[in-house]
Amino acid sequence: MTPTGTRKVPTYCYQCVAGPDLLNVVVEDGVAVKVEPNFGVTEHPAGGRPCVRAYGLVQKLYNPNRVKSPMKRTNPQKGREHDPGWVAITWDEALDLLADKLRTIRDAGFVDENGYPKLAVTFGAGGTAPAYLGGFPAFLSAWGAPLDQGIGSGQGMKCVHSEHLYGEFWHRAFTVAPDMPTTTYVLSFGNNGDVSGGVIGVWRHAEARGRGARWIQFEPHMSVTAATAARWVPIRPKTDAAVLYAILNGVLHEHAWRRVCDVAYLSRMTNAPYLVGPNGYYLRDAATRKPLVWDEKRAAAVAFDTPDVEAYALEGEFTVAGIEIGPDEQMIEHASTTARPSFQLLRDHVKPYTPEWAAKVSDVPAATIREVTREYLEHARVGATVEVEGVTLPLRPVAILLGKSVNNGWGGYECCWARTLLAALVGALEVPGGILGTTIRLNRPSSNRLESVRPGPDGFMAQPLNPTSKKDWQARPTSRSAHKTLVPLVSDGSWSGALSPAQLPWLFMGDPPPKWPEPTPPEVWIVGRSNPAISCWDSDLVMSKLKRFPFVAAFAYTQDETNWFSDLLLPDATDLESYQLFRVGATKYVESYWEHQGVALRQPVADSPFDTKDLTDVGTELSRRLGLLERYNEALNRGVALGVPLKTAQYDVSLDASTPHTSAEIWDRACRAATLALSKGREERDLAWFSEHGVYLVPFSRLNWYLHPEMLRKGLRYELPYQERLKRIGAELRARLHEQDIHWWDTQLDEYQALPPWKDFPEIWVDIARRHGKKPEDYPLWLLTSRSMQYSWGSQVSLPLMADVARHVRGHFGIMLNAKMAALHGIDEGDEIWVESPIGRQKGTAMLRAGVRPDVVVAIGQFAHWATPVAEDIQMPNLNALEPIDLSLIDATGSGSDLVRVKVYRTRHGDR
Amino acid sequence: MRWGMVVDVRKCVGCQTCTIACHEENALPPGIFWRHVVDVEVGEYPDVRRAFLPMGCQHCAEPPCVPVCPTGASQQRADGIVFVQYDMCIGCGYCAVACPYRARHMIHDQEWYFMAPTPSEKKAHDPERHGVMSKCTFCKHRVDKAPAGATPGVDPEYTPVCVSSCIANAMHFGDLDDPTSNVSRLREEHQPGVLLEELGLKPSLFYITE
Ligand code: SF4
Ligand code: SF4
Ligand code: SF4
Repeated sequence: MTPTGTRKVPTYCYQCVAGPDLLNVVVEDGVAVKVEPNFGVTEHPAGGRPCVRAYGLVQKLYNPNRVKSPMKRTNPQKGREHDPGWVAITWDEALDLLADKLRTIRDAGFVDENGYPKLAVTFGAGGTAPAYLGGFPAFLSAWGAPLDQGIGSGQGMKCVHSEHLYGEFWHRAFTVAPDMPTTTYVLSFGNNGDVSGGVIGVWRHAEARGRGARWIQFEPHMSVTAATAARWVPIRPKTDAAVLYAILNGVLHEHAWRRVCDVAYLSRMTNAPYLVGPNGYYLRDAATRKPLVWDEKRAAAVAFDTPDVEAYALEGEFTVAGIEIGPDEQMIEHASTTARPSFQLLRDHVKPYTPEWAAKVSDVPAATIREVTREYLEHARVGATVEVEGVTLPLRPVAILLGKSVNNGWGGYECCWARTLLAALVGALEVPGGILGTTIRLNRPSSNRLESVRPGPDGFMAQPLNPTSKKDWQARPTSRSAHKTLVPLVSDGSWSGALSPAQLPWLFMGDPPPKWPEPTPPEVWIVGRSNPAISCWDSDLVMSKLKRFPFVAAFAYTQDETNWFSDLLLPDATDLESYQLFRVGATKYVESYWEHQGVALRQPVADSPFDTKDLTDVGTELSRRLGLLERYNEALNRGVALGVPLKTAQYDVSLDASTPHTSAEIWDRACRAATLALSKGREERDLAWFSEHGVYLVPFSRLNWYLHPEMLRKGLRYELPYQERLKRIGAELRARLHEQDIHWWDTQLDEYQALPPWKDFPEIWVDIARRHGKKPEDYPLWLLTSRSMQYSWGSQVSLPLMADVARHVRGHFGIMLNAKMAALHGIDEGDEIWVESPIGRQKGTAMLRAGVRPDVVVAIGQFAHWATPVAEDIQMPNLNALEPIDLSLIDATGSGSDLVRVKVYRTRHGDR
Repeated sequence: MRWGMVVDVRKCVGCQTCTIACHEENALPPGIFWRHVVDVEVGEYPDVRRAFLPMGCQHCAEPPCVPVCPTGASQQRADGIVFVQYDMCIGCGYCAVACPYRARHMIHDQEWYFMAPTPSEKKAHDPERHGVMSKCTFCKHRVDKAPAGATPGVDPEYTPVCVSSCIANAMHFGDLDDPTSNVSRLREEHQPGVLLEELGLKPSLFYITE
């Protein structure tokens, strides 16, 4: 029976990591007709409003181009030119087929002859996938054997990768945000937060502008965020580190550093006073192995944690006895040696990076650099305090933000280091007004950043690094992205495979480097919410490898460029068709930090128009077919996929492990458990309650936004400025790889430096032409990409409504060029032009702008689809198709920046 | 009473959330946007400014689009809302020519986003709007629903959807004649300007730019 009347059904949107945000779907006579904000949720920092993308959800539900039932490939030949020959099958047939393939793996062994898991899964779009996978992760847990998450769909290229890894290492900041409600001054290097910061980011930035906060945007083109900023500073691509280094130089040499820096913070909260020996390692007490500091009062070296040090020496050179501990426990004894505080080394290190030097590198005038340095120091208000919920904390309302392509790929380490250090210099790290980490992914518990702070070596936080010692190093990669072998910083958790050099499988499959087990095509690859044939660099290379995958099962919304190569299309129930309870509030990705925390329900708002299946039911059915039902239910009971255990000492709403349960039953238990946990046993809300109310929230203290009190409580320091640990790890990793005769990762190993110097980063991209047998001077321009609020994270590309709206954004569907530069090339507004890189060319429409550097062209988003309905009609170039997957573009963390050298010219009649 | 809007251009990010929310609220066909946000760039590199200007019907106090209408379909209410009475409109387009803000949109035929209407399009579309002129109504269907005690511009349910959906809190709606209303207070504080003031049409939309 079709329901009649009008209802408002609450649900959430998590189509980008900046959410989840809350909304209502208006349903008339059982048909979803529109999306509205959920104004009832006053706790939401942006008043319960969702962004433009969320308004596409109704069209997303009823899109007639969806995959309408499971489909099986009939054409055994795979390739872009071969139609898969889909035939519709039933869900039973589809799940039987997949289960059979999986059973074969279980029977014959989980790992192939090269050491790689035979089952691989790729769920793209960073943190958003978990909000849509339902109970499926519990199936992966019940699988009970290694599975490979290292086949990349753009990880490292499309995220803020170095920031993820170094940020989490330094201050539990997988993502970094300004404390926007309090900040008064932001220096942003390409952080396009008014597009990618989600509704909360946009709301808070606007509020800050309203109260006079100043935002300076360094960026090669005038993005939306540059437009709303007080000032736009056009900067040469990939030279952000130079400007940051010049600001460091200004603070430490052009200003009286003792006056402008937070000396107490540096002395007690960082490793600035740690003495460094002649070999670059901390000088340590021989007996306790503790790093030494110089106590000015005692005029002697003492262990860093000596309680009554009144004045730490930050400058100078001291004669001391002690040991250095190098790589592989190598002990260097000094009866007497000279040692300097790491702060002194820092000052020496940044001495050459004057504003005049940076101006030459970056095209940013020295006067501008001096001006922002002065403003930064003024706004930092060193010495000021503020009371937060009765606790007095430092107030440092300044933040430096980095954007994608600045904080990943080569130069990402240097930028992240300089930015975090600039915060530390004025004591603005993890305090009100300063920069904050908002989420963690490598440490546990992932739901609580503060709890993850545990004492580690030398007075710093512990970090689950992948071992590099002779004894424990993982010589043979366990994932195709080799995370345990190549990337110590990424640890070995559920996210680590995907957060490593996930381009390597595409590059090395069929063409491995010497002494390296070839990454094999996985026997079964499950892919969903992800389209690597578009979102990864070097699409042609990716497709050439995809062809070789023997069995691909794709959770499919529409036909797309990746599932074109699959064997099975499984139309999973999407946003408005399935159940999931998901954590909201507290501190999450980007600027999503609230003064509340809780859970929100995603639920079916209307009958699904097609034969789709809730992914929780898919997980249950696959588990049942494979005899894993009990393990699957137990995983759910432990809280896997649900985000909350169903049984604790306080409550028990667990599922009977022996029988299958529907998605609604499973999520009903999650609703009860989550509310019992949040209310400490006082309240229990079931699925029916959530269906009506949508969200359950409890207060979340603002004090939890800041790591500072926790660091004080635990007596810990930030591992800045000196990277002794990374230096040692890098040396060990180099030794391990060389012992295996592996030398192709050597350039990456150079990143492990205690104080990273500037390197000529732009030249790395210029050199790509030479590596491909071309002349660099033939590619005089930089092609950059920029996010689109309408399209980012990809789930909207097949919605004509979104295209209709996005055309109001300047340059959205064209190639943006500087107007004067275009005139020199004889290019007019609206001309059809080629953008050509050393590996290919792409067509698009020229859009002339004043707000683009003359040496830059910009293409928004990632398009160039050829199989996705609607998207295939959008003629837009895709940077990814022009950027090679090349070892020289991959940094030590496994990431690469989205930029490529190109030339542009008008198409000629008949060009294809 | 006269309804009006104050737009804080300093806050707008050109995200077009208001554009899509309006489109969905009013079930508009493809390509028809009663309001959108103009993305303007002025200057020459490197001295460039880019700004976002929410644009729609200005609900002029002296609207040239009303008297030109040969049938009286183009009307102005006592509270200032200018609208089209669809069943009187013959689609001649005179009003669109008269409007200097390009705020009127002819709906020739109902079109759908795909070959056939989706269930939501079928359900929500307004058959009265075929072959007629259309324009922003200041969401009068929401404003007029406000029960006693509720205030359009304060209660989001009864406020034009572009205002209540804005993710930058850049737009405000209220009674321009009431000196205590939010919009009056903002006008007092910021002295916002109007577009094409020289035409003297007395628009009800005010823009804070500095
Ligand atoms: S900001 Fe992200 S999560 Fe929030 S409504 Fe927009 S797409 Fe959804
Ligand atoms: S903006 Fe145009 S349509 Fe609106 S009232 Fe003024 S003249 Fe009429
Ligand atoms: S929703 Fe608000 S911020 Fe976004 S374009 Fe509209 S007015 Fe501007």
